[in-house]
Amino acid sequence: MLEIANLSVTLPSRRGPLHVLRRIDLSMAKGQIHGLIGESGCGKTMTAMALLGLLPEGAVVAADRFRFDGDEVAGRVKTLRGRRIALISQDPAAALNPVLTIGRQMDDVIRSHHALPRPERQAKAVDILAATGLPDPQNLLRRYPHQLSGGMQQRVVIAQALATGADFLIADEPTTALDVTVGAQVLRLLRDLVASRGLTVLMITHDMDVVAETCDRATVLYAGISVEEGPVGALLDHPRHPYTQALLAALPDAAPHGARLAAVEGSIPPPTETLPGCAFAARCPHATAACAAPPPLRNAGGQSWSCHLELP
Amino acid sequence: MSAVLSVENLVLRYPARGLFAPRPDPALRGISLNLGPGETLGLVGESGSGKSSLLRAILGLIPYESGSIRILGEDWRQLSAAGLRRARQGVGVVAQNPFLSLSPRLTVAEILAEPLLARGDRAGPALNGQCAALLSRCGLPPDFLNRRARALSGGQAQRVAIARALALGPRLLILDEPTSALDVSVQAQILNLLADLKAEMGLSMLFVTHNLKVVAHVADRLSVMRRGEIIETGLATDLILAPRESYTRDLLGFGLRKPKALA
Repeated sequence: MLEIANLSVTLPSRRGPLHVLRRIDLSMAKGQIHGLIGESGCGKTMTAMALLGLLPEGAVVAADRFRFDGDEVAGRVKTLRGRRIALISQDPAAALNPVLTIGRQMDDVIRSHHALPRPERQAKAVDILAATGLPDPQNLLRRYPHQLSGGMQQRVVIAQALATGADFLIADEPTTALDVTVGAQVLRLLRDLVASRGLTVLMITHDMDVVAETCDRATVLYAGISVEEGPVGALLDHPRHPYTQALLAALPDAAPHGARLAAVEGSIPPPTETLPGCAFAARCPHATAACAAPPPLRNAGGQSWSCHLELP
Repeated sequence: MSAVLSVENLVLRYPARGLFAPRPDPALRGISLNLGPGETLGLVGESGSGKSSLLRAILGLIPYESGSIRILGEDWRQLSAAGLRRARQGVGVVAQNPFLSLSPRLTVAEILAEPLLARGDRAGPALNGQCAALLSRCGLPPDFLNRRARALSGGQAQRVAIARALALGPRLLILDEPTSALDVSVQAQILNLLADLKAEMGLSMLFVTHNLKVVAHVADRLSVMRRGEIIETGLATDLILAPRESYTRDLLGFGLRKPKALA
């Protein structure tokens, strides 16, 4: 469904070029939920923006391969966005217009994608809202976003994404603004929609719990580089890249109660830096002199990762 | 030993929105909790559970209907203005978003000096030394004193906010979602720092969050809040292994490393 190889994005700035994405490889099969994991500044959202054609002006994009559903993305980004690809953003309250009713906002989306008379558009809106598990969708059309809870607002945003007819959803931290139990329900809905409608979802998150609950496979990003990829079970149980290992070890439930957590010291290299070798070497507990050279790509058990270390 | 913080049967109700509007339900329906010296109590709840109302009431920022709150044995409602000023020095507060709680116009040195100057300390080398000591205790080198908040990373800014909360030597530290705005690896650094401070200074902490897994790691005891009530309370280690309430189980049962009892 999606094939990205060696994607880089460079933004111009007064301080020189910013390497916001350095080397992204991402390959997704139809009907899967693929997690894009990483901490702030690692390039998760930038990857989504590249896919949506919403990169800032002056961005230089290069890739060995950048294909969506078999065709080159370059040059037809605008026909993909909103027709094939839709975005579900982090804060549903910000994604919805506070002064328009839900009915009007649903209709705006439906009208721009389907030439239908008004009653049929309304029936379609009700159908789609019902499909996202919202109770009494007829009545909902007359409501304003502030009258809905956060979980309901996010369901409306998902309904809007479905109304475009898109079959590829980018969910950018879709539950971060929601309570844990409400977020769990929204994720269950996304999983159900993937199963019933054959959607494909790119799930951008920093939350390993979300990855564990919803994703089939996942890619870990660090400093604009995809450092590890694999099926979620293997990735979380046996992380191979030292950064993935560090990320999982830093979780509070990774250590016994009250024990010190394995914090990763240091910080992500700034985007102004060029990184000829391994990007994580400066913070890596296993780093050797070899890490100054580009790390080789390794494969085992369905996982792939780039690291100089041989498996023990 | 006397409690550092004791809340008994606290009922809090916000005023009705209009003259003829019905009286709203209470936001807190009889909350009781105790925090001993050197103890960390984790208070967990989702939005609307009453966490923030409870915090505001404890800090004396909003009035409550009935019940009592005592901090270091004192009821702040009985204190004179001067007494309240002194009593407040015993409590440090760290908020969720360090970039909102630290003034972008001030340098770190000015941010840390502010509570000391407000207490009546004189500006000078002694005060500067105190600021540097606070900063180093929170894991930042002295050259950060001349930086401004916006030049800090999230983790560094939260360390400055914690240093400021410690400036007046409080006995009680109130932490309102202190790591929710931070990345996982930075969160681990801040949780380690809080554990060190607790061990070194014998601080009592009230750690308020929606993230049960985070607070379960650092807290001695946990209280789970829902709809203005504490529905479950117990030792953190017990509560995680055997949560009684289905709601607590829902919170724990999501994601990675589910407790074995829930699997």
